[in-house]
Amino acid sequence: MTAPTRSLLVADARTKARNRAEARFRAYGLAAILLSVTLLGILLASILSNGLSAFRQTEITIPVTLDAAAVDKGGKGDLSSLRATSATAYGKLIAKALKDELARQSIPTAGLSDKDIAALISEQAGADLRNRVLGDPRLVGQTVTVDALATGRIDGYFKGRVTLESAEKDSKIKPEQLHLADAMRDAGMMALRFNSGFLTNPDASEKRPEAAGLGVAIAGSLYMMIVVLGLSLPIGVAAAVYLEEFAPKNRFTDLIEVNIANLAAVPSIVFGILGLAAFINFAGLPRSAPLVGGLVLTLMTLPRIIIPARAALKAVPPSIRDAALGIGASKMQSVFHHVLPLAAPGILTGMIIGLAQALGETAPLLLIGMVAFVRDMPGLPPGGFLDPATALPVQVYNWTQRADPAFTERASGAIIVLLAFLLIMNAAAILLRRRFERRW
Amino acid sequence: MKDHLERRMTTTDLNRMTARNVQVYYGQNHALKDVDVDILDKTVTAFIGPSGCGKSTFLRCLNRMNDTIQGARVEGQILLEGEDIYDRRVDPVQLRAKVGMVFQKPNPFPKSVYDNVAYGPRIHGLARSKAELDQIVESSLRRAALWNEVKDRLAAPGTGLSGGQQQRLCIARAVATNPEVLLMDEPCSALDPIATAQVEELIDELRANFSVVIVTHSMQQAARVSQKTAFFHLGHLVEYGDTTQIFTKPRDPRTEAYITGRIG
Repeated sequence: MTAPTRSLLVADARTKARNRAEARFRAYGLAAILLSVTLLGILLASILSNGLSAFRQTEITIPVTLDAAAVDKGGKGDLSSLRATSATAYGKLIAKALKDELARQSIPTAGLSDKDIAALISEQAGADLRNRVLGDPRLVGQTVTVDALATGRIDGYFKGRVTLESAEKDSKIKPEQLHLADAMRDAGMMALRFNSGFLTNPDASEKRPEAAGLGVAIAGSLYMMIVVLGLSLPIGVAAAVYLEEFAPKNRFTDLIEVNIANLAAVPSIVFGILGLAAFINFAGLPRSAPLVGGLVLTLMTLPRIIIPARAALKAVPPSIRDAALGIGASKMQSVFHHVLPLAAPGILTGMIIGLAQALGETAPLLLIGMVAFVRDMPGLPPGGFLDPATALPVQVYNWTQRADPAFTERASGAIIVLLAFLLIMNAAAILLRRRFERRW
Repeated sequence: MKDHLERRMTTTDLNRMTARNVQVYYGQNHALKDVDVDILDKTVTAFIGPSGCGKSTFLRCLNRMNDTIQGARVEGQILLEGEDIYDRRVDPVQLRAKVGMVFQKPNPFPKSVYDNVAYGPRIHGLARSKAELDQIVESSLRRAALWNEVKDRLAAPGTGLSGGQQQRLCIARAVATNPEVLLMDEPCSALDPIATAQVEELIDELRANFSVVIVTHSMQQAARVSQKTAFFHLGHLVEYGDTTQIFTKPRDPRTEAYITGRIG
């Protein structure tokens, strides 16, 4: 006797349960993706809303007469005598020029002392003007147009960070100063402009957030990435090729393999301690140098490059190796002519992920002194690799520690720059990958 | 079938390769036992036998491709032109230039047709100029009966050809180094009947210049293309002789059982 046949048009209980399970799983997946996209969106929105304003800066445009008596205290008109004039003297010159300009445009300054008016201008403005004159001594005696940085509070007022209410309770700014700033903006003397200094200036002290920039951090990060790329790519790929293609398979190579996996999981700060002990204390390399930072990050990145590189080599079909060996290529020729080019896309992807991690790494750099306050840009390579510098993520960490809220904006701006670097690197990886993959 | 077999005569009896008392071990496993085979010049020698009988293993001994397998060990003597290829002084790289190989699955390099064929001559330094290399590429592709199909797209990737063309490209690549012996490991098993017929025809033509050793699952193929046949069974060389004799008057009952379809 045969079992009664069930109609195909009616789903049985088992099939329904199976379909429900699948639908549930799909829903979980979709929910997880939506949640992460939302959170990523919130993160990006918060960083962009906080940080984009760092790329714009309030500047006060005034004509300043560079009176030879005021700027050339030595009186000889050459560079050495111009150097004798301090930035403070230039600051006073700008303050006076501002007062004159306000009077000329008949902008009311009631209730404000000369000191209050001068306080609209950043302390950095004097130093900037001094550098400009030292760069071009023919300016002495002429009247030049100066774009002086406004102080952080005034800048914050134009960006919405400082309000008339907050100024009442703030010892560093008076509501009257904000009214004056409004009047100056209406007169066209004060405006938000693109802040190229954010990308080129060095860090600045607690008192003048408006002058702080990422120049040294970008240079330091760039130098470190050059060191990491230059060392970890050849060493990592060579190690992966040796281990995968040439090394005998025995206990010893198994041990090495396990330890490479372990090294990839070692906390990065441990590499910082190693770098401090090995490169600075033992080898005597200077502190805060991008070379040392790059070496430490190379140690950290190597296992993270070797592992995906080995996986990429393993994925190359053995028939290609057979084909090369079968027509009399040596092992080395078969690897370098055929296997490695085919594994290149995978190796590159691993490389870029490793580099991106290294770019965002902070902890080991703190230990080797890259957290220092560095005013001078590192020199050009190769000497610049030994000059003190800092790094982008360290700069972010540094700025988030400072009290002035103007640094919060700058920290977010630095994160945007860091993300932009990462995006560029990933885009480069994708482009290179495409290029190599076409050769299949 | 008998007439067809008798038309094929061995043109020469000069020995290219001689294998004596060859043993192959994979670790503890004794995979190939006491094999004695002569590979004659300008002759197609077929190795037949059921799967796992050791015919591919023996083929890979002839150009030392077994060296690349971990734990494989070869004993006995294999001579190429009177020289022991397992002598310590022999570099397998030089040997493989003299004993070319074509694999079961077409495996062209992911490069252009031209570069596929030119690779061997390049690494062995066979061409002194671009013109000479062009010449080698063309003659190799002609020998592999592929020239007319690819002469207009030498720069196209070799992996873009059809399966049969890819296999003939692999043959062209193997003959480009001008080997003395050409080993083929089931070269038609991944091909359709038409491509198979083309490759078989090609093998017959290649006999004029090389001695060819072909491993095949298909007895019909062995009968069609070879002059000498060796029958392997369970790691033993059961019978070796003229193809005509093997297929018409097998001496060993196991050979008879295999070719009549009772084992295998």
